[in-house]
Parts: sequence; C-alpha cells; structure tokens
Amino acid sequence: MTLDARITGRIEYAQDQAVEGMLHARILRSPHAHAKLVAINTAALPAGIVCLTRDDVADLEPLYGPMVKDQPIVARDRVRHVGDVVAAVAARTPREADEALDLIEVEYAELPGAFDPVEATGDSAPVIHEGLEFPPDLRPDGRNVCHRFRLRSGLGRDGFAGADVVVEETFTVAGAAHVPMEPHATLAYWADGRLHVITGTQTPFNVRRDLAALFRIPEDMIRVLVAPMGGSFGAKTFMRLEAVTAALARKAGRPVRTVLTRAEEFLTVNRHPARFHIKLGASKEGTFVAKSVDAWWDTGAYADCGPSVCTKGGYAAIGPYRIPNVAVDSRSVYTNRPPAGAFRGYAATQGVWASERATDLMADRLGIDPLELRVRNLLKDGDRFATGEVMKDVRFADCLKAAADAVSWSDGRTNKGIAVMLKGMQTPSRTGAALEIDADGRIVLRSATTDMGQRNEIAQRLLAASALGLSPGHVSVGPNDTDLVPFDTRTTSSRSTFMMSIAIRDAAADLRAKIADRLEIAPEDLVLDDKGAGAAGSPSRRLAFTALAGLRGDGSFVTPGGLDPDTGQGIASSHWHQAAAAAEVSVDSETGVVTIARLHTAVYAGNVVDRPGAELQNEGSTIFGIGTALLEGIVFDDGQVTNGNLSDYEIPSILDVPDFTYDLVEGGEHSHGLGEMAVPVVPAAIGNAVAAAGHLVRDLPMTAEKVVDAKAAR
Amino acid sequence: MRIQLRVNEQPVEMEARADETLLIALRRAGFRSARLTCGIGVCGACTVLVDDLPISSCLVLAPAAAGAAITTAEGMADDDPVARAFMEVNAFQCGYCTPGFVLTAKALLSEVPNPTDEEIRHALAGNLCRCGSYVKIAKAVRIAAASIR
Repeated sequence: MTLDARITGRIEYAQDQAVEGMLHARILRSPHAHAKLVAINTAALPAGIVCLTRDDVADLEPLYGPMVKDQPIVARDRVRHVGDVVAAVAARTPREADEALDLIEVEYAELPGAFDPVEATGDSAPVIHEGLEFPPDLRPDGRNVCHRFRLRSGLGRDGFAGADVVVEETFTVAGAAHVPMEPHATLAYWADGRLHVITGTQTPFNVRRDLAALFRIPEDMIRVLVAPMGGSFGAKTFMRLEAVTAALARKAGRPVRTVLTRAEEFLTVNRHPARFHIKLGASKEGTFVAKSVDAWWDTGAYADCGPSVCTKGGYAAIGPYRIPNVAVDSRSVYTNRPPAGAFRGYAATQGVWASERATDLMADRLGIDPLELRVRNLLKDGDRFATGEVMKDVRFADCLKAAADAVSWSDGRTNKGIAVMLKGMQTPSRTGAALEIDADGRIVLRSATTDMGQRNEIAQRLLAASALGLSPGHVSVGPNDTDLVPFDTRTTSSRSTFMMSIAIRDAAADLRAKIADRLEIAPEDLVLDDKGAGAAGSPSRRLAFTALAGLRGDGSFVTPGGLDPDTGQGIASSHWHQAAAAAEVSVDSETGVVTIARLHTAVYAGNVVDRPGAELQNEGSTIFGIGTALLEGIVFDDGQVTNGNLSDYEIPSILDVPDFTYDLVEGGEHSHGLGEMAVPVVPAAIGNAVAAAGHLVRDLPMTAEKVVDAKAAR
Repeated sequence: MRIQLRVNEQPVEMEARADETLLIALRRAGFRSARLTCGIGVCGACTVLVDDLPISSCLVLAPAAAGAAITTAEGMADDDPVARAFMEVNAFQCGYCTPGFVLTAKALLSEVPNPTDEEIRHALAGNLCRCGSYVKIAKAVRIAAASIR
C-alpha cells in the first residue's frame, strides 16, 4: 500500500506551485479604515523590485466584483478598509519583497468611517462608494446599501393582526474567519500571448470571466488551473489574489506568486456580521400565523457576494415552516471593514440562529414543547414555502425526530435544545461533465469541481464508474484546467455532488451511446467491463478500450430559477438542504462556561456516494458549528481587527470537541451535498439548550461573558 | 550560514540566515510537508520531530537545529503503522495538517504505547485541523496503538 500524498506531505497545494524565474509578491495594505490616497512614492525602491501601483493599471478596466463592480486591483483614489490593497511588489525572494514594502511612502488623508451596518444606512454616515453601476437585479436602496432583498407573502406584516401571541427579539452573529490552514495563494504568468493562472480557488470560471473583463481580453486567452487547496470554507471563492498577481506579472514580464500571511487572511475576506430583528406570531394553539425578518448584513468595503448572502439568509430566517403571512427585508450594507463573503453555512448560519431562537421564545410563551411546536408547523410535501415554491422530498420531520431521539428528548427537556433548518443551493446553476477514453484505454473524467479536501475526486470517480458499469480504478480525474474541463458554475453551496451526479450520469449515457454506435449495436445491448466493450448475446462483437480511444461523452445539468428581489417570489433553490440538531448542555452560571453533554446532527444526505467522505464532511461541519457557537468571533475596534491571529482567534482543537453523534438520513432519488448542513443548526441547538438552562443568549458566539450576562438580563 | 543536520536519516546541508526559522529552511530544502499556518506555535502544521520530539519548526531558528536528527512526514516508510492507520480510517480531508498530526501521534506512541483516549486528546491538542477530522484522527491513533502492540 502506497501512502496517500496527503499523509506524506508530498501533495502540492496552490502555495507550492512554482515555475522557472518566478518572483515572490507581497502586498502593501492600508493601515486606515477609510482615507483618501493622496500620494504614493516608490522612489526609494532598489532596482530589481517590481512595484504595482494605481498608475500601472490605468489601461485596465477599473473595477471588478462578482455581483457589483466596486473593487479596484490596487487602490485608486481611496482606501476603504484596513488591509485594502494599496500597492504590490515582486522580488526574487519573499524577504526582499517584505523589505521593499517598508520603502514605499504613502500619504493618506483620513476620512470618517462607518463600522456598523445599521448606522451605515443613516443620513450622517459617510458614503463609501460613489458612482457605482449596479446590475438591474440588485436594489441598492438607501445609503451604503448594495442590495435590499424583500419578500412578501400573504398579508405580510399585516398578518400579525390575526395572531394571538407575538414574540420579537433582536439577535446578532459576529463576523468569523474561515481560517483555511493554507492561506490564499496564486501564481500567474503571461506566455504565448495568454494569461496563465494557477490558483487555489473554488470558482475558476468566475475568476476567468472577471480577469477577461479586467484585462479586456477574450476569456479563451486565459487559462485558470486550480491547485488543491489546504481548506477554503468559502474563503477562496471569487477573485482574491488572481487580479493583483496577474497585473504584477504583466508588469514584471515574469511569473509572480503571491501567498498571504495569516494576518492578511483576516483582512481579505470574512463571514458577514449580521443583525436580525425577528417577529413571530402564532395562534394560542401554536399554529404560526405571521413572521417578519429584518436583517442587516455587514458586507464590508466591497460587496463581493453580499447581495446573494442577504437574499439567502433572508429566506433561511423564515425557517422550514408553513406561515401564511411573511415579510422579509434583508439588506447588504457597505462598511469600512474588510470584505465579507461566502462562508461555510452560507448565510443560513446567521438566519437560522435568529429564527430558531425566536421559535423557542414562542414555545416558551405558549408553554408548548419546542419540538412539538416545530413539528406542528413544519413544511410537508406539497406545502408552499413563502417564496411560492411547492415543497417536495421533504425530510425535516425525519431529521428533527432523529436529533430529538438522540438526546432522549421525550425523557425531559432540561438543558436541552433543538433546531431545524432549510438552506438553499446555488440556483440557477449549470454543470457540465465529460468522460473521455484516453490512448491507454482509461476513462478520464473532465470535471471542474475544485479540490479543497472534500474528496470530490473519489465521489466523482465512484459516480462515473457506477454509471458506466466499471470499477472505480478504471476512471481517473483529469487536471482542473479551464482549457480542458466543461463549464461549471462553481464549487460552492454544497452543490457539486448533487449537480455532478446528474451531469456525470448524462455523460456516461452519451459515452455508452457512442460506444454502441461504434459497435453498431443498440445502446441497451452494450456491456462494459474493465477490458472493453461488448454486445449482450454476441461475444464476437468486442472492442478493447484502447480501440475506442478518443471517444467522449458529454453531459450537463442545468437548474433554472432565482427570486424576484422585490417580492421574494420565484425559485430559491432547485432542491433543499435539510438538517436538524439537538444538544444537551451544562452551564456554569458563575463562569458562563458551556459544556456540551450530548450533541446530535441529522442531515438529509439522499444517496450517499462515498461514505467515509460523507462522514468526514458532516463531522467537520458539526465541529465548524461548535466553533461558531462557542468560540469564534472577529473582534473589531472600529475598522481594525484586534484578534487576527490563531492565539486570539480560536478555532476548535480536539479538546473543544465533545463526543457527538449524527445521522446521514438517506432516501430519495438524488445524492445531496452535505458539507455544510450541520453548521447552521449546531449553534442554534446549543443556544436553545443554553436558554433552556436559563441563559437567554441572543448573540453569537456564546462566549462565557455573554452567557453570564444573559443570565443577569433575564 | 551553512547548517549541517540529518533529515529523515540522510545528512543534509542547508543554507540559512541566522534569523530564519527551521521551517523556512526545511521548506526551501524541499521538505514541504512542514507548513506555515499560524507562525506562532499554535497550530502544529509545521510540526517536525527533532530527536524524536515533536516541535513547531516555525518557532525554532534554523541554526539552533544544527546537528539535530529531524524527521519529516516525507521520511515515513510505506509500512509506517501510524501513517497506515490514518489511511485506513480516512483520518484527513484537505491533508494540510495531516503530516503534523501523524508525527505528533508517532511521538506519543513511542512514549506511551497504550494511551487512553484522554492522553490521545491531550497529545494532539497542539495540532489544529480546520476541516474537523478529529473524530477519525483520534480513531487512527487508537488503531495505530493497537497495531504496534
């Protein structure tokens, strides 16, 4: 048995990519949260140092961004957050590049900043961007608002008139750091008239499109190769280092590699801090009547995917419930903090925290068992969600029951909490896959799914082999190179196993048809084994795979949809991620320390493809949820991150992880992604358990101080 | 300055500045299983064994390791029982932290051949895995201990 390259350490991540003559880059960052960029003086730099400033990108498209073009490659006239990119240098060694940063003189004129997403919408707040062009589907309504998502169903807020009991509360979730063990890393070079980018990204096709727009060249002049990532969790989504590294390589006329430091990670992209005001109305028998969700998301200095986050978090906060009257107003707001973007549990973490804590407040008020209240109001097959979508393949009740049983819910609810969620998948989206027979007669899968440790290659080889009727060892996965792989929207939102399972089956059917055609037989008579192709019932008709070299089957899967930004009606998700969690805790009311006695997650997995991978993803996602629940929060002093290191910002170690259990709930026709199903429900279940213990926490993370204060506040 | 030491039982001569860390020097010499993550000795991604003890190579100056015998993950044989146990139970996801965990576990088992679950957890507390593979990592260490006995 040969050891896996991940064990011997021989695997080459993005940060390990190197080419001949490569220079090393470092980035000069703003120390101010908001300032005019008055002057940059690079005269002191020694010869041999290549420096990129605003003057070097004047011929390029000025701004980029996945949803709003608002971000410059290097600052032009202003810096908008601590850590904003002011200049970049490339040198022969990282040390020389580091030393060069100190020789650049920058003159700033400080401006007042906005550091709170509610205050930033007020009339006296500084305006962070001027003159932006927003795409037609966004609603930049209000000062510093880059998008406002609104949903109305039934009577909306007027529906509370029909409620016997109304509860309302404000909840918050702190910003968090992704902390991939490997930082962001990108290598770029220009050769043969093309731009080559080797990078750790979840979104190669978004990166290619945005680079093409920035450099004003056709997309086919750009090749993006995705290297394995040492974790990402949403951090390596959309353009990060690719633009600045490519621009630096263009100026240097040589390859350039950029690898971030740990401190820079905290200034590059984080999870959205969010504030929710939830109002829930019910009949005295415990039937939900109306719900309103008002949310403010701090998207930081650049929108990134903030508009999508406020949309998805807005409807996730409705919860998987039948509620006849719903109103959601969810705003993505610019502030002078580092940009916030995609983060494992994408927007559902914040929405589910607020929503499921409010559900327990209602249960308390009505004196109804929180499990009972949820089950009574859960969406069932055929019900309409607030977006108008008719629900199908619904497993919320199965997940809830599994979670409740695991903590012996029916034996008593002391110090126990429960939570359930619905989470959308990227919709609309498009996936392509191809299966090629190479010269050696092996099947090569062409797939753009990126590798950040989720074992996608294993799952997709299994899917392809099973669809073709071959053993998995006969299928390999080709390089993740935009020149070679069919288009795929991106590796996000736990969509890849679901989307790819369908596209790969489609590609396998196409390849089988082409092989059958070569054998001059009907596809249903085709029999494949690891040696080659034959016809059922006629042993003489046989071809080895090497004789079929060059044949290629193409497959695709497309999901239509999207929500109207003004009514919230439409198709939010082509299928729903469904999960529940239950927790039992003990709380030291003197110190505020929360100890998890029991924790169970139940996630709808559909058909499990790769069991070890599925287990690892759900275990990891549960542990991510524990971090969010109890440990993790970025602490800001205005625009400054004050805990941007792994001593002050704690992620769970093995000592923070209690024994926990889980169910992968199987069934249905499809395979479901489950890389982030547990993340949103774990904090809410723990929070409800802490509340059951008498500490009515409203804010994540539930640090000891907050738990003590929540007792005092009762 | 030139530093002579043994890495994975082979003599190695490395060029390093006096203020450079062992981690940087090792990586430049091609031993890239040791990795920089936190840079402050918290996460364990840079773990190597120095004379069989796990240390954070991001905290050690390269010259201080002169003459030492260093083990990195690249030096593990295919039949290494700890590495094989990690393979057997799939105790990794992205793999970035894995070499550090394997080396730390090897050091634990050479000192405590039959560790309790609590001893395993405490021994591994200086290694962080953001993918959250801890459940299977602890299982791998238990299996490795059993296979060595």
